[in-house]
Amino acid sequence: MKPICILVGALGGEGGGVLAQWLIEAATEAGYATQGTSIPGVAQRTGATTYYVEIFPVPVAKLGGRAPVLSLYPVPGAVDLVVASELLETGRIVAAGMASRERTTVVTSTSRTLTTAEKMVMGDGRFDSQRLLEVARKHSRALAAFDMNAAAARANTVVSAVMFGAVAASGVLPFGRDVCERIVRASGRGADASLAGFAAGFEGSQDVVQAAAPAAPARDAFSEFPPSVREIVALGHARTVEFQDAAYGELYLTRVRRVLAAEGAAHDGALTREAARFLALWMCFDDVVRVADLKTRASRIQRVRREVGAADEDVVRIVDHMKPGVPEFAGLLPSALATRLVRWDRSRQARGKAPLAFALKLRTDAIGGFLLLRMLAACRGWRRRGGRFAQEQALIESWLAAVIAAAQNDWNVGNELALCGRLVKGYGATNERGKHNLAHILRELAPGGRFANPAAHAAAIREARVAALADEGGKALDQALVAHGLPARPVVAQPVRWVRKSAATRTGTDA
Amino acid sequence: MERSFAKEVQALRLGAGEVFRGEGILAVTKALLQSGVSYVGGYQGAPVSHLLDVMVEAKDLLAELGVHVETCTNEASAAAMLGASVNYPLRGAVTWKSIVGTNVAADALSNLASPGVTGGALIVVGEDYGEGASVIQERTYAYALKSSLLLIDPRPDLAHMVDMVGHAFALSEASSMPAVLMLRIRACHVRGRFACRDNVAPPISTREAMEGPASFDYTKLAHPPVTFGHEKKKSGERIPAARRYIAQHRLNERLGGTRGDVGLVVQGGLYNSLVRALQQLGLADDMGEPALAVLVLNVTYPLVPDEIADFCRDKRAVLVLEEGQPEFIEQEILATLRRANLATPVAGKDLLPMAGEYTVEAIARGLSAFLARHAPGIASEEGDAWLAATAARREEVAKDLGRALPARPPQFCVGCPERPVFAALKLVQQDIGPVHVAADIGCHAFATFEPFSQGHSILGYGMSLASRAGVSPMMRRRALAVMGDGGFWHNGLITGVQSALFNRDDAVLMILKNGYTSATGTQEIISTPADDVKSHAADQAQSRVHDNQVIEATLRGLGVQWLRVVDSYDVTKMRATVDEALTTDFAGLKVIVAEGECQLERQRRVKPWRARLLSERKRVVRVKYGVDEDTCSGDHSCIRLSGCPTLSVKPASDPLRVDPVATVLDGCVGCGLCGSNAHAASLCPSFYRGEVIQNPNWRDRMLSRVRRAVIGVFQ
Repeated sequence: MKPICILVGALGGEGGGVLAQWLIEAATEAGYATQGTSIPGVAQRTGATTYYVEIFPVPVAKLGGRAPVLSLYPVPGAVDLVVASELLETGRIVAAGMASRERTTVVTSTSRTLTTAEKMVMGDGRFDSQRLLEVARKHSRALAAFDMNAAAARANTVVSAVMFGAVAASGVLPFGRDVCERIVRASGRGADASLAGFAAGFEGSQDVVQAAAPAAPARDAFSEFPPSVREIVALGHARTVEFQDAAYGELYLTRVRRVLAAEGAAHDGALTREAARFLALWMCFDDVVRVADLKTRASRIQRVRREVGAADEDVVRIVDHMKPGVPEFAGLLPSALATRLVRWDRSRQARGKAPLAFALKLRTDAIGGFLLLRMLAACRGWRRRGGRFAQEQALIESWLAAVIAAAQNDWNVGNELALCGRLVKGYGATNERGKHNLAHILRELAPGGRFANPAAHAAAIREARVAALADEGGKALDQALVAHGLPARPVVAQPVRWVRKSAATRTGTDA
Repeated sequence: MERSFAKEVQALRLGAGEVFRGEGILAVTKALLQSGVSYVGGYQGAPVSHLLDVMVEAKDLLAELGVHVETCTNEASAAAMLGASVNYPLRGAVTWKSIVGTNVAADALSNLASPGVTGGALIVVGEDYGEGASVIQERTYAYALKSSLLLIDPRPDLAHMVDMVGHAFALSEASSMPAVLMLRIRACHVRGRFACRDNVAPPISTREAMEGPASFDYTKLAHPPVTFGHEKKKSGERIPAARRYIAQHRLNERLGGTRGDVGLVVQGGLYNSLVRALQQLGLADDMGEPALAVLVLNVTYPLVPDEIADFCRDKRAVLVLEEGQPEFIEQEILATLRRANLATPVAGKDLLPMAGEYTVEAIARGLSAFLARHAPGIASEEGDAWLAATAARREEVAKDLGRALPARPPQFCVGCPERPVFAALKLVQQDIGPVHVAADIGCHAFATFEPFSQGHSILGYGMSLASRAGVSPMMRRRALAVMGDGGFWHNGLITGVQSALFNRDDAVLMILKNGYTSATGTQEIISTPADDVKSHAADQAQSRVHDNQVIEATLRGLGVQWLRVVDSYDVTKMRATVDEALTTDFAGLKVIVAEGECQLERQRRVKPWRARLLSERKRVVRVKYGVDEDTCSGDHSCIRLSGCPTLSVKPASDPLRVDPVATVLDGCVGCGLCGSNAHAASLCPSFYRGEVIQNPNWRDRMLSRVRRAVIGVFQ
């Protein structure tokens, strides 16, 4: 008889230790020799960690006074059950070779707690969950996957209770559900919630969750566009009308038509769809007017109540953190005036001062704060006459022109340039950086003269786009450009302050 | 403290015949009481912190027995405490994390071991080695060798570990050598059971105190000329006495041996892994009885030459299983056999890894190679097939995954007061360029991970300020040293602050004053806010560390002239203060105290307090931050300045957008960093602070009604 080997994967602080303890208590109560161990250490602070439990499947009473020697380490390929509260951690255990097709049942949560490395990426840095699930399925005897965290939340308990239920249901334990439930019941405070979580885990592990793809709504309008483009165009049109007015919506459609004409019919509008997507987002650039409008909508206040988990009878105060600066206000002024104002602010910064900006904590739920935002939102008409509007339209046109010119020559190059619309997003410095990067790509990479063939040209643009999203400083982008014999981005003037040691401690030759 | 140990304290009271169930380190704690220990001390740190935590909480029981417990300020003070056993027949035990703690204790240990002990002296060290370790990978063994300490490395079976604690005291007394009980991480946390004996009240105790001092005896001093005599006694008397005791009580075990004529010599702590490896190779039965002959070294220093020679004499070859480097035991066995003129071939680090943990798989690979070379008849095909399949499977999974899985190192807790300091530090460097950051040991070392990636060096606990003393004079920019309050009291005050003041260094020190120490247990220190201050605070959610000013008073008393105390969560002010410290004309030591109480400790107060108020239907204000998805740029700059576990990303619900947007998960404690960062770094205007008033009073309700009515008109 081999011991039953159970490896638990969890994040520190999630109650994995409680689960291990429950397992040991249940096995002991059922009359089996058992042992468990863990390596908490600093992993207690939300790091990845594991717990390991062995149960000898012959009752102690039948061992004739002998005690089996149990291992403190899981053995790769010799684990009967892997259970993890997080999908990446399941992947980590499988990658360590622990699970095997011959022996291991894997019970995993489908939920992800994203790592910092995944979250901090400027675009989308998330590891592919589907791939993790597939790997777990391939390297297990049986796989049960469900959202343990959601189950725990529904039962108003912690995930360890759900995991225990899933372990009890897995069929690897030599004792029944009743023993496990008895142990949970005896654990005192919160036992009812834990039992509900246990039941949810027990039932949840019976089925494998299939992610259903949301059905795309059929669009009858905008029939002049290929079917795959219609939904995006409809959304983009609605968004631009809402942002400014009907004429602006019409401008959007006109621009999309120009792209479609350049793309032709061969690719079912794939290029046009992406161009239309990023065009809509860019045309509805974030300025103070739009932010004020979005922040004061009735639907927003309802959403906030939901997000903070307020009950109907609770009162909710909303404090909005904003910091509009000179560029934000200048954007609403006519170009000439705006330029002077921004120049004045820059000269202040060059003298070592901080850029002029107003750190506001606005009470959007109170009358004063709300009305101030409403007034700003009402400035929509000024926007058209403002410097920012003109500047954005000019940049949009230069991007579209490059996309169209390239698409007429080679679809792939045009498509890559269209996808570069992704670089422009956000507000303030983020937005400036994105536009700076895009402008440079358009200037240096859009003309194709220096490339051997269109495929190389398209690849270079794709490389630059990915690199532009790799780091804030743009180091990767510069490297990608230089690799193709192109100039790095021009250095943006930035005030530099040398930190010198004080005169009193400076010694020797430097003056 | 991290958690309550009420249940564990109860287990310490168990008497003869009752069964103890629980963790290895707590079994050892119980064993100390069963051995008649008089005093206990130590310095916290995983994996042994529970020993001291439980002892501190077991005040009543210890008072009944007359046992004294001391929470020492560092390992040196703990080791010095064992000095009580030099002159007096007192059994004493101290504990710490090794190797780092033993390094700090080294001076006192040498001075303890030289005169030797009268009463049994035991040091319980957590060998923080391998997976889950947080310190440098070195062996405690070297200290046993150089200072002549007994080193006990027991089989990880609770009953056996408890027995070995009793033997350790007796062995220490028999040999006058202090003993070290070494427990690996998994052994500290192993859950098992053992049959208890009654606790023994020590003959000399706080209840039965000695009347006066021992008579003057120069040989008890670690001072010349008697130190020369001590050295001779170590090899001439003490080690031989220890060997006699070890042999007589059969502390090292000979097991198995039904098959083949090769032998295995293993450190006791590795025994279970060796058995599982043998089982995988078909060379141990289901209960774990090995087929090959095994010598289990439960005492790894000193070795008993006769035992070694006897075991090896008739063997065709011997494999030594010894974790870590260098291979002290293997070398000594080789020397022993040479001296005994025995030609038995010895294998060890030539077939097993020199560095790294001896997992079951690592041991099995070594065994397989050993058998192939020395006993091909009993080599196991099944075992080799398993090892090959494991390697192949790993390769296959790596290929299927396509790229390396993202790492998940530990990080600052939700709402941690240290996170905002590093956000400010990141912003300052955007203004004035990169700064040399001397990092330290403590939770703040998590800032070396993403998204902060701050820190150029870590030289030890409390060593950051001292570690930049050679950097500063060589660099035109000022360097910054970061230190926690734990490190400050452990060492930093003396090695760092005093030195910088004495040398009139142009230095900058950031002290993170969160009120507690130890990333693995939040133990109390001298600057912890007092219990009554905490319990009487009107708002339990508020940081209380400003109520304890010992750090500030100490710094002023030493002569620090440039001292700023800044609220940790005020990123804008912190940014300006760090900027000032790095650029001011003031030439001396500049200290910034970042003040914010450990969030874990605060939440431990807040949760029951809120629950009580709610159950009494009283007004409660709860704060949660949020992100307006519509205005979120999807650029995640906020995450690059925070890394808070509750600040995450989710798919955008806007079908036009492709990149995920930021979101605040449940679990946000409303620390305010998101808002503070949004202002300090001029991030996008997406962050809002939601203040939920539960059980609102009539004024809240009326005001809310009026506001909604007016606002409704304009929506």
